[in-house]
Amino acid sequence: MPVAASAIYFLNLRGDVLINRLYRDDVGGNMVDAFRTHIMQTKELGTCPVRQIGGCSFFYMRISNVYIVIVVSSNANVACAFKFVVEAVALFKSYFGGAFDEDAIRNNFVLIYELLDEIMDFGYPQNLSPEILKLYITQEGVRSPFSSKPTDRPVPNATLQVTGAVGWRREGLVYKKNEVFLDIVESVNLLMSSKGSVLRCDVTGKILMKCFLSGMPDLKLGLNDKIGLEKESQLKSRPTKSGKTIELDDVTFHQCVNLTRFNSEKTVSFVPPDGEFELMKYRITEGVNLPFRVLPTIKELGRTRMEVNVKIKSVFGAKMFALGVVIKIPVPKQTAKTSFQVTSGRAKYNASIDCLVWKIRKFPGQTEPTMSAEVELISTMAEKKSWTRPPIQMEFQVPMFTASGLRVRFLKVWEKSGYNTVEWVRYITKAGSYEIRLAS
Amino acid sequence: MAPPAQAHRSPSPSQPSGKGEVSDLKSQLRQLAGSRAPGIDDSKRELFKKVISYMTIGIDVSAVFGEMVMCSATSDIVLKKMCYLYVGNYAKVNPDLALLTINFLQRDCKDEDPMIRGLALRSLCSLRVANLVEYLVGPLGLGLKDNNSYVRTVAVIGVLKLYHISAPTCIDADFPPTLKHLMLNDPDPQVVANCLSALQEIWSLEASTSEEASREREALISKPVIYYLLNRIKEFSEWAQCLVLELVAKYVPLDSNEIFDIMNLLEDRLQHANGAVVLSTIKVFLHLTLSMTDVHQQVYERIKAPLLTLVSSGSPEQSYAVLSHLHILVMRAPFIFASDYKHFYCQYNEPSYVKKLKLEMLTAVANESNTYEIVTELCEYAANVDIPIARESIRAVGKIALQQYDVNAIVDRLLQFLEMEKDYVTAEALVLVKDLLRKYPQWSHDCIAVVGSISSQNVQEPKAKAALIWMLGEYSQDMQDAPYILESLTENWEEEPSAEVRLHLLTAVMKCFFKRPPETQKVLGAALAAGLADFHQDVHDRALFYYRLLQYNVSVAERVVNPPKQAVSVFADTQSSEIKDRIFDEFNSLSVVYQKPSYMFTDKDYRGPFEFSDELGNLSIAAESADNVVPAQGVEANDKDLLLSTSEKEEIRGATFNVSGYSAPLYDSSAASVQSELAIISSTSAGSAPSSSLAIDDLLGLGLSAAPAPEPASVPPSLKLNSKAILDPGTFQQKWRQLPISLSQEFSLSPEGVAALTTPQALLWHMQGHSIHCIASGGHSPNFKFFFFAQKAEESSNFLVECIINTSSAKAQVKIKADDQSTSQAFSDVFQSALSKFSV
Repeated sequence: MPVAASAIYFLNLRGDVLINRLYRDDVGGNMVDAFRTHIMQTKELGTCPVRQIGGCSFFYMRISNVYIVIVVSSNANVACAFKFVVEAVALFKSYFGGAFDEDAIRNNFVLIYELLDEIMDFGYPQNLSPEILKLYITQEGVRSPFSSKPTDRPVPNATLQVTGAVGWRREGLVYKKNEVFLDIVESVNLLMSSKGSVLRCDVTGKILMKCFLSGMPDLKLGLNDKIGLEKESQLKSRPTKSGKTIELDDVTFHQCVNLTRFNSEKTVSFVPPDGEFELMKYRITEGVNLPFRVLPTIKELGRTRMEVNVKIKSVFGAKMFALGVVIKIPVPKQTAKTSFQVTSGRAKYNASIDCLVWKIRKFPGQTEPTMSAEVELISTMAEKKSWTRPPIQMEFQVPMFTASGLRVRFLKVWEKSGYNTVEWVRYITKAGSYEIRLAS
Repeated sequence: MAPPAQAHRSPSPSQPSGKGEVSDLKSQLRQLAGSRAPGIDDSKRELFKKVISYMTIGIDVSAVFGEMVMCSATSDIVLKKMCYLYVGNYAKVNPDLALLTINFLQRDCKDEDPMIRGLALRSLCSLRVANLVEYLVGPLGLGLKDNNSYVRTVAVIGVLKLYHISAPTCIDADFPPTLKHLMLNDPDPQVVANCLSALQEIWSLEASTSEEASREREALISKPVIYYLLNRIKEFSEWAQCLVLELVAKYVPLDSNEIFDIMNLLEDRLQHANGAVVLSTIKVFLHLTLSMTDVHQQVYERIKAPLLTLVSSGSPEQSYAVLSHLHILVMRAPFIFASDYKHFYCQYNEPSYVKKLKLEMLTAVANESNTYEIVTELCEYAANVDIPIARESIRAVGKIALQQYDVNAIVDRLLQFLEMEKDYVTAEALVLVKDLLRKYPQWSHDCIAVVGSISSQNVQEPKAKAALIWMLGEYSQDMQDAPYILESLTENWEEEPSAEVRLHLLTAVMKCFFKRPPETQKVLGAALAAGLADFHQDVHDRALFYYRLLQYNVSVAERVVNPPKQAVSVFADTQSSEIKDRIFDEFNSLSVVYQKPSYMFTDKDYRGPFEFSDELGNLSIAAESADNVVPAQGVEANDKDLLLSTSEKEEIRGATFNVSGYSAPLYDSSAASVQSELAIISSTSAGSAPSSSLAIDDLLGLGLSAAPAPEPASVPPSLKLNSKAILDPGTFQQKWRQLPISLSQEFSLSPEGVAALTTPQALLWHMQGHSIHCIASGGHSPNFKFFFFAQKAEESSNFLVECIINTSSAKAQVKIKADDQSTSQAFSDVFQSALSKFSV
């Protein structure tokens, strides 16, 4: 039994029920009370997302200001349950068009009930594919009070069933202009020791695709990854071209990708769903290009003063630039006064997170701005030793840069009508968890 | 005075109370019901939405049932859907009204639009009213044969719903064979998947009574069915794939060729974007290759990358689910993951439940080549702001030290911890140094030098204090001022709340005495005297034992207390390998997350009330001591805390309640004591002279009730209790010490009871209603502890009860002591029935 969910609840942060759907009678009606009293109102909240109370298990997840709780009475499949919640939320979002929060749920509760009925029956997950659900859902999502009401679309005919072979795509789609957008989004995770050595570093990337293509197109994607290139050179009996090849540690694909062909020919070929979807995810640990180097020095001058100097080096191409760079440098709680000197951007002290926050909106490559700050502390005897020196954290986005070096070599589209397509490819690297520890 | 237990269903102020609105709705609906004006559907929709929103926030709108049904005679599908939702919600509590809906639902089941047919059928089956099942059979039969797959998927689950309402109806209608036929022939994969879910449930439940059902259940994992499903696996939705893979994992292939065929077929599932599919596939691989050691190991290598990807992607909750599974694999084969240790480094902002698992894995994978890096990393965490994690990391360092042969560097690190001057770091490090010395006595010299410099004043946690005292006793010849430290500890005997610490102190003083007699003699005398006067049974007994032993023969005493020690080579494992294997069998389920086999936590209905209680008790203790949450001794030691706090209240409060794993919240127990005092005052002020005189009798001669007046065997079946019973805490304490335990039982708590038990006060008030009074209480979720007393109505015969409730297991452990042993069973029944009625 992967998940035989007995009930699903949506609660706000106070514990009020926004949505409740009881699928089975094997749990009592006061399960929300049990959740409220034994998880929400105790310190347990947030200590573990799976909890057992009485004979039932509760899986809960907080998404913005909403708790989604699944109650089961059997030995259920946890991974499947959480995945289901995540997918369901994505589905709801696609209906409301944007945020998933308390207000959106209150505005759309009838729609959510309708969806919950279709995506799960008697506790078993059914179809979550938006394409197919469109056939059964009658409610319109309430988008926002200001957008004009969408024109009354006729309810699609439910008998127009999609074939089993490509369950994610309807037949008979027509676009005037056939376009494909590819976004390679990488987030780079770094853990740097206080001595400046890389403790852990990896890149998790995903290829997002937006397809506006007519008919039933066949797509083929070529990347500069090692296995793919080697296979290709084997097939064409040509030596591998020089240039960087990327070794992917692990890849997962959207269900549309023909995995058998990937395993035998090492090509990514697929019939894409209509609209937006995540084509693949990958992970890389070797040969990561870190976009930034952070060089901090923190000096404690006596008990009431600190000197903080941070230099950031951008190590990507000089023509590129990073956007929205934020560097958070932790300081002790008893910080009283700060003064800054920066060569670029702006810095200020944020008392609510106990950090100096240095923001640089546009950060060109091959530069190294610095910040120096003086921090005055309130002198307290008790907390002398209590500052634990949390790590510096960094946020950024670098367009047209991939930390892994991954590049799209080609994207081919075949369709029997033989139309021309326009392909757009973008790259962006974001900071995942980018942490630099401070020396003590 | 504590407030009465708060109402749990208190609606928040923003939510309307309901009554006026409901009658408003009723009249509005009635107006619309007959109308055929254009645009009427829109106004109906608005009203229906209102009804459903009230329903959601918990207002009872069942009063408009009739009107809702009248209004839904419409072709508007939006209205129909909302009406179905409403009906499904209230039919169960209004079976008569539900009958009203049968008609139009049955009509809709024959609608020409397949969507309406499906919806109506689903709603019909969701009514869950037993006496309406006869109306279900016909539509379900038609639904299973419908030419539209949507209707069929709904009908299949409908059969399962019918089975849960009335199993015989479902079986008599011959539905299971129909489902089997559909499963093996239907073109739509979702129909097939639903058939599989339904059949698995039905046949598993039937198997206990029917031979045939258990044969059918076996047939589901036979080769033809498995191969049929495997060949269609790519057609299934991701959720259905999980279902099929779960089934495949149970299949036992005939030979290795078959195993490889299945694995080849499924290999690409490891690249599926849905982590649940990947985990299910991993389960199949692991289970198929269990008997093939080499291949099994290759499987580990193969699944490593996908698992690590899953861990690093998705929400923390999802990573937690995957990490739990990675955890069990790492524990089974740490060497395979040894080179991947960096994946288990914690990020600063990760939730502590993720960090905790990662720490355990870091500990497990440590070997000669990576120990240095891992220990360095763990030491970073020791300075972490998150104190529980910091503690865990220090323990992890210790565990690694106990696993490794080259502990040189690690010992230095541990000793550095001791110099960090943070209370919790020192406490954890002391416990570790003690364990290290038990395994590697050769390090004693280095350790003792550092330990000797720690002031015992700074160590408050019982475990740490006990460890320090153990070292003082064990190495008293190397520590210059050991006797004097022990002396000062002994002088403060009265202030030491933990019995564990006092026990260790006794032993340490004895050991010290044999090593340095002239300096210790005086302390030994003081310690033995204090021990003999101690009201903790174990401490008292041990002191008496030492005393008699010394009297008997000093050299024998030395051999008993100070024998030559052998270094411990392996510390006992907390979980048996059998349990571990059972958890592994249930891979990809809650068992792995809870680290318990499923029989220990699944629904009460599926197990006898006390069937596994023994085993469960043992295991939960084992698990707890591994986690160091609430060690059993901690609870034991706190018996005294609770009692002390009630009798002596203010003076020693600060000293008794120091940091310990089981910190009974101060205000709770003091509130309880105030309350019991008030109870006494109120009962005496009520002018019940006899009862107060009884209390005095009680104080004067305890023998009075126990010795003379031998109770005849003819005890009345129902025991009457004095509702105004009084007993002062001092007497309670005295009696508790003197009386033997006459009954020790475990009761189950109802889920409602568990839900209502948020603070000890809630139960306390309830029990008082049953003439069972509370004298002390404490603890917080999930562990509560109560001391109750009760008196017989006609005579001053007392019952004393210690009741430990664990809300997460919904069990209450009850120990009863009675002046009159013969009535304790009767009282136990009274107590149980009072407890079972506890809810709001």
